Amino acid sequence: MEVRSTALGAAMTVIAGALVVVVTGAVLSHSSAAAPALTAKTNGTMNTAHGKLRHATLSISSYPDSMAGEHGADGGKHPDWVSYGPTTTYDLPAHALVSVTIRQYDSGERLNNPFFATVRGTVGGTMTLNGKTVSHVSPNHIGHTFTLHAAPGDQDPLFVSVPLPAVPESVKPTKGSDYPKPNVIRFSFITGGPGHYVWNCEYPCGDGYYAKFGGPMSTRGYMSGTVNVG
Amino acid sequence: MVKLGAATPVADGGGLMRRLNMGTAVAGGVGFGAVGWLVAHHFLQTDVPATSNQVVIVTMICWSIGFMAGIGAFNAPLGWLMGRDLGHEDEMFLAGKDQGVSRYFRFTTDHKVVGIQYVAVTMVLLAVGGTLAMLIRTQLSHPNNGFVSPQTYNAMVGLHGIIMVLATIIAVTGPFGNFILPIMLGARDMAFPRLNALSLWLLVCAVPLLLSAAFLGGIPTGWSAYAPLADQAGPGMNGFLMAIIVFAISSAVAGANITTTVLTMRARGMTWNRTPIFAYGTVASVGLAIPALPLFMSAQILLAVDRALGGQFYVAAGGGSAWLYEHLFWLFGHPEVYVIVLPAVVALMEITPVFARKPLYNFNAAVVGLIGIVGLSLMVWAHHMYISGWAPDLNGPFMLTTELISVPTGILFFVVIGTIWRGKIWVTVPMVAVYAMLWNFIIGGVTGIYLSDVPADVALHGSMFVTAHFHYTLMGAGLTGAIGALYYWFPKMTGRMLNQKLGMVAFLIVQVGFNVVFLGMFAAGLAGQPRRVYTYPPTFATANLISTIGAYSIGIGMLLTLYVVVSGWRHGPLAPANPWGAKTLEWAVPNPIPLANFEVPPVVIADPYGYGEGDPTTRHWAEEPQPARAAPVPAVSGSSADGEGVAP
Amino acid sequence: MTITTSMDDMATRTRRFWLRRDVLHVVGLWALITVAGVLFSIYVPAHLMGPPASGTMREIEATMTAFSIAASPVAAVVWAVALYSLIAWRHRGDGPPETDGPALRTSRPAAAAWILISSFLCVLLLVWGLAAMGSVASAGTTGNPMVVNVTGNQWLWTFAYPQQGGVESDQLYLPVNRPVEFHVTSVDVVHSFWIVQMGIKVDANPGEITRTAVVPDKRGTFDIRCAELCGLLHAQMETSAHVVPMAQFHKWLSANGGHP
Repeated sequence: MEVRSTALGAAMTVIAGALVVVVTGAVLSHSSAAAPALTAKTNGTMNTAHGKLRHATLSISSYPDSMAGEHGADGGKHPDWVSYGPTTTYDLPAHALVSVTIRQYDSGERLNNPFFATVRGTVGGTMTLNGKTVSHVSPNHIGHTFTLHAAPGDQDPLFVSVPLPAVPESVKPTKGSDYPKPNVIRFSFITGGPGHYVWNCEYPCGDGYYAKFGGPMSTRGYMSGTVNVG
Repeated sequence: MVKLGAATPVADGGGLMRRLNMGTAVAGGVGFGAVGWLVAHHFLQTDVPATSNQVVIVTMICWSIGFMAGIGAFNAPLGWLMGRDLGHEDEMFLAGKDQGVSRYFRFTTDHKVVGIQYVAVTMVLLAVGGTLAMLIRTQLSHPNNGFVSPQTYNAMVGLHGIIMVLATIIAVTGPFGNFILPIMLGARDMAFPRLNALSLWLLVCAVPLLLSAAFLGGIPTGWSAYAPLADQAGPGMNGFLMAIIVFAISSAVAGANITTTVLTMRARGMTWNRTPIFAYGTVASVGLAIPALPLFMSAQILLAVDRALGGQFYVAAGGGSAWLYEHLFWLFGHPEVYVIVLPAVVALMEITPVFARKPLYNFNAAVVGLIGIVGLSLMVWAHHMYISGWAPDLNGPFMLTTELISVPTGILFFVVIGTIWRGKIWVTVPMVAVYAMLWNFIIGGVTGIYLSDVPADVALHGSMFVTAHFHYTLMGAGLTGAIGALYYWFPKMTGRMLNQKLGMVAFLIVQVGFNVVFLGMFAAGLAGQPRRVYTYPPTFATANLISTIGAYSIGIGMLLTLYVVVSGWRHGPLAPANPWGAKTLEWAVPNPIPLANFEVPPVVIADPYGYGEGDPTTRHWAEEPQPARAAPVPAVSGSSADGEGVAP
Repeated sequence: MTITTSMDDMATRTRRFWLRRDVLHVVGLWALITVAGVLFSIYVPAHLMGPPASGTMREIEATMTAFSIAASPVAAVVWAVALYSLIAWRHRGDGPPETDGPALRTSRPAAAAWILISSFLCVLLLVWGLAAMGSVASAGTTGNPMVVNVTGNQWLWTFAYPQQGGVESDQLYLPVNRPVEFHVTSVDVVHSFWIVQMGIKVDANPGEITRTAVVPDKRGTFDIRCAELCGLLHAQMETSAHVVPMAQFHKWLSANGGHP
């Protein structure tokens, strides 16, 4: 009797404790889940330096606030934080040519590392800025950057960094919109095998925080995200 | 038993005091905190990080003041200001006389109540920190796990770290340094009973501040909170820095109290070579905490200035330096390791003679070892900064001081194995804790030697190897010692025995799991896995999976331990006054322990380690050799007037 | 206990001590654990650290092996006594033992031997460490090292080659067997620049330039990581170091707009 009640009590304690951990974990996991991924649209194949590859397109934007991204129309907890949209999680096909279009609506200033003013890792080392092909822009008028990088491990390395030049503050919002006419940046890169990658903005746009890298820069769902290739 | 409430006769000036408890404290904290928030919010804009930091810090200061006022911490000082002093009845009330369970939820000065309160706070902290540990290991169970986001992961790592550091700092000194130590010294209470209650309630006040960080965006910096990352962090960082500031005050108060108690409250005849080693070790620990914690506190005050007032202490662009933070932090951080480990090791050194039935071997060497550790540990901090680039030329001297510390640490091992040598080993949970410490602390110590070596540290710094190393010392020796001490002193603290069989099973599950976790982590660290990463290359997958499995078994073992403690507390078999046949003074008082511990102040005639000496059938603890009432009260009785009257 | 003054007495007692059965058993156990520890030291730590890619890393792995070997007999003393006591000196039964153990209070020779031996080992470690430190420090500074500027960004490393026309890269390319000196800084928080297989690491501090040097002597691709928690994507602040023959390095330089 004594032994049985001890065993029962001990088992109940372990189960109750495990439940607490499981429930806490479930709540944290749920509340920190990434927004639904945006999957690149595949359309046909293209001839590249690496042979004939599948072609996929991805269209995203960078905004001066978070009213248009994954935080809903009210902007969520921090409506005034800069953000990427429509989401920050992207799925890309493996071994494919990916063409990305970024509409950049935000103003900006100087990069803290001019390294990121150069286009890197794209096909031809270039991008088009409002239709004009460039490989380098002035580091003094940058709105954001889209910098995709990888943990080396056994997955293929992938590094793509493009500067997104700023829209001058003086430009007024277009009619019927909260935002001015954007800078349109287009570039392509070639994915390797399946892997997990991250991207983030390298323009310090977390105003008010040390090195301007706090707030939206250090919070998931604004100026950083994941890219799954596979 | 006197019933509480309005019917209680109210003594002069004590009316309010008698109605205060934890409930009024929380109400006071929340109420005044809300007032602070409203006022700050009104006068300060909140859309800029610096001003929102101001609002959060003001709110937290108001919470602390409100909480401490609500618990009654300011009653007596305010009374003095108004020219009133507490009467005898007030003192007895403060000591918790005849109040039953409710005294555990009040500003109670009885050191036995404070000790139990510390047990409860430690268990709460361990539960929260342990839950976080389980979730951290779940995230790391396999590479590229999407269980939680990197942000949540970083927040969990920081919170786990600081909660466990605070928990292990108090784990031995709090419960046993307060409950057991005064009785062990033959005293009726601590030197400053009201400061004792103050230190406990400051700690309780700091816990919600720390936990609030979880709801304010977390502590993304790890427990070391390196600036300028801490300058950059979100509002959760304010919870961290305010909690550290309040905790530092709490530990300074506790440290002064324990030191004074050991220096002045020892029973008549308890000369220094008759003073138990636990007293030495506790004083060594708090003696280190007294200079160390304020440095941590000043680091956090400067951080608060940076974050809220636009200071640039840690901002290179403004003339500050990240190295300033690192120095302040490690000047605290290295002594802190010994603040945690020393009380645990001396508790086990107190346990060893009892269960080996032999005198503590080379008592003098043990004392010298403790003094050596205390002296050297203040001179080694920059070994955490070998690779910081601060002063590469000083790496040699810091390597010297760091490696020297292995000599006094080795002496402590010598004392323990010398005591075990040819003993009559009585295998109980406390004694198994001694063996566990001998295994874990050797591994922690040897890996510490690798890290003291400059070239090896360059390779290992910031890797999982370091994480495994300090868990071997802080958990393998620190927490293991605390668990051993709990099993050993529980019968005296609660009057009930713990279930030794289930306790042993639980303890072994924890120890085996612990070694699995951290041996796996050593492997990952040697292979090059950095600390504090939410994901890792697949090369490290096996080592991490092993660590995660081990972590779950620690979790199961700790839950079983919790069950053993709670069920033993509620309906364990009643304990005899001296179940282990130990000779220190705390076993000489009856169960339950009278309010003033000793009816008659004891006089000590020998040291408490006389096993195998003289006639084994006589009682061994020191006794009053002459008619009690005639004996003069020990010379230190003057300071005990602060606490309570003599209550024979 | 009385301290015997006569040397003969002392010698006899010492001999008798070492011939006790339990002492012999403990010594045997000690020898076993020591051998196991030495074998572990030779095969495990350096193996886990992987094949070294520089003289510095070789030195570090030798240090790990040597320290482990030196620690084995010390750990073995503690563990042998602990293990033997659990087997041979254990009191079985529920209550406390009826009689106490021998009242051994102290032994000056034992304490003196322990302190002397541990101090000697400590000095040994220190001398080894200082010697290793010296040889590691001179590794990259001899000759005319190539300078690479390393910048820590949240959460990327960037590299520049000022002597080769300012070539910039997100990955590190190094010619084999050429001393290289890294000038490391950060544009934001503290990072720590770590080339795992080369055994070098130095913090990247904002507003400061820290230096470290190495001679990579093995071709291949190695791991660069950040070893100081630097915020959200600390775990992803990783890249590769490619150690290539000089000719290939020059080809890479010119492909990226630089010159040898």
